[in-house]
Amino acid sequence: MTPRGRVDLRVRLLALAAWILALGPACSVADRDGDRSPLSVFAPSSMTDVMPELVTQFHRAHPDVAVEVTFAGSQILRLQIEQGAAADVFVSANESHMTALADGGHVARPRRLATTDLVIIVPLDNGAGIEQFEDLTRAERIVSGTEHVPIGAYSDTVLNNASQHLGSEFTVEVRRRIVSEETNVRLIRAKVELGEADAAIVYRPDALASDRVRLIPIPEQYNVRAQFLVSRTARNEHASQAEQFLEFLSSPESAAILRAHGFTGAG
Amino acid sequence: MTNTRVLPTPIVRIGALFSVTLIGLLVLPFVAMVVTTPIADLRAGAAHPMFAPALWVSLKTSMTSLSITMVLGTPLAWWLASSRSSAARVIEVLVDLPIVIPPAVVGVALLQTFGRQGLLGPSLESLGVSVPFTGTAVVLAQVIVSSPFFIQACANAFRKVEPDMLLVARTLGASPSVAFTRVAIPIALPGLLVGASLCWARALGEFGATLLFAGNMPGRTQTVPLAIFSALEADVRLAVVFSLVLAAVSTILLVGIRFIPSLRRSPRRPPT
Repeated sequence: MTPRGRVDLRVRLLALAAWILALGPACSVADRDGDRSPLSVFAPSSMTDVMPELVTQFHRAHPDVAVEVTFAGSQILRLQIEQGAAADVFVSANESHMTALADGGHVARPRRLATTDLVIIVPLDNGAGIEQFEDLTRAERIVSGTEHVPIGAYSDTVLNNASQHLGSEFTVEVRRRIVSEETNVRLIRAKVELGEADAAIVYRPDALASDRVRLIPIPEQYNVRAQFLVSRTARNEHASQAEQFLEFLSSPESAAILRAHGFTGAG
Repeated sequence: MTNTRVLPTPIVRIGALFSVTLIGLLVLPFVAMVVTTPIADLRAGAAHPMFAPALWVSLKTSMTSLSITMVLGTPLAWWLASSRSSAARVIEVLVDLPIVIPPAVVGVALLQTFGRQGLLGPSLESLGVSVPFTGTAVVLAQVIVSSPFFIQACANAFRKVEPDMLLVARTLGASPSVAFTRVAIPIALPGLLVGASLCWARALGEFGATLLFAGNMPGRTQTVPLAIFSALEADVRLAVVFSLVLAAVSTILLVGIRFIPSLRRSPRRPPT
């Protein structure tokens, strides 16, 4: 048993070394493939409809550049970039996530891509009978965002603004009706589309893009303007293509597409 | 050493190498999580306002769902174990369905059942009952995804109970219920404990169905897995601490599953 055991150990070590050698090249090949990977754009959920159209338009002018878009809540995209995700362009639905990435040296200086305002959406049958912002307290179930997702933070500002005009009881009443805090605006909208929530606050383009919800405007005095910022990341693989894409995003063509979806173009 | 006699040595070595690779893959992430988390982070995480409510919601809902599964699942498991009908075989497959169906699908299906536009939602609503986005929704999701584990383990345990032993108990004057509780349950107990632990662990870890069907509300429907998901957006370290706690609880459960039943049995086992 003892001599056999020693031989076994040596064979095992050799096998292990062979295995590591075999695995090593496999890894580096995968890395080299990165050169031909598409330009990776990380965009907030609220741009789920507009971004593919922007990319198609961009692709017409630059047929050689393949673009791949990932959608999620801006806070999740930020986290992924901080953790080393291969993003070339980052669009954030608010300033704070972009600033945090810029402070960490993950993105270059950001520029404004678009703005939009917030609206209320209700299911088409509108069982709670919500006709205006002040009726939010009629809702039995409201769905909102977490404090970290931009839509959650903006909604919070709207409610705080409202409490200045309508009193803090109004805001307390509305907050009491929030049954879930979602991580992106499309998940919020889905709950209203399903009729599971009586009302929610979303960006105007999200309301316009769905034929299963009704849009109710939020009065100017409570509303906020959401700022959508865009920046190139510190990743260098696609630096020139990323610049081309950013240039396109500040073009009149891009602004027209954004406007058609309910955003206000860069300005 | 029996293996080396059955299989040629090189094959055994390759097999061992593959096994070691897989074991490394399975264990490494947890080792990494433990090794890279400073004690100070652990303390800060445990003191975070999100933590205690999420742990409480998790414990409350998972214990409730475990109790429900045990009460409803034990008779079903007994029937599955003792029946020879083809209906039992069909039901057995159906019971396993939640294991192969992704939890997200379970969440959608639950909304289609209990949601406002779902199959039962409107009638429940007229009775003043509304399930989605409540603690009840969390429990329902957990029962569905975890009960197959209990029922399966439980049915297997009951299969070890020889019908003859129950007959002997009856001939010695035991009533059917006494025969069941004094003969069948003790024999099946190790299996039942394994089933209950697996079921609890699965309920504790439930994420997908809960997120869709019960929503994510701190203090109400936010369980620890959902808190990990939310914490990840704010502070990765916090998510790591929550994850460590959940991993620790689950590990304790697993160790319990594997060792408590054998400790109970070993003194009575005849020497081999």
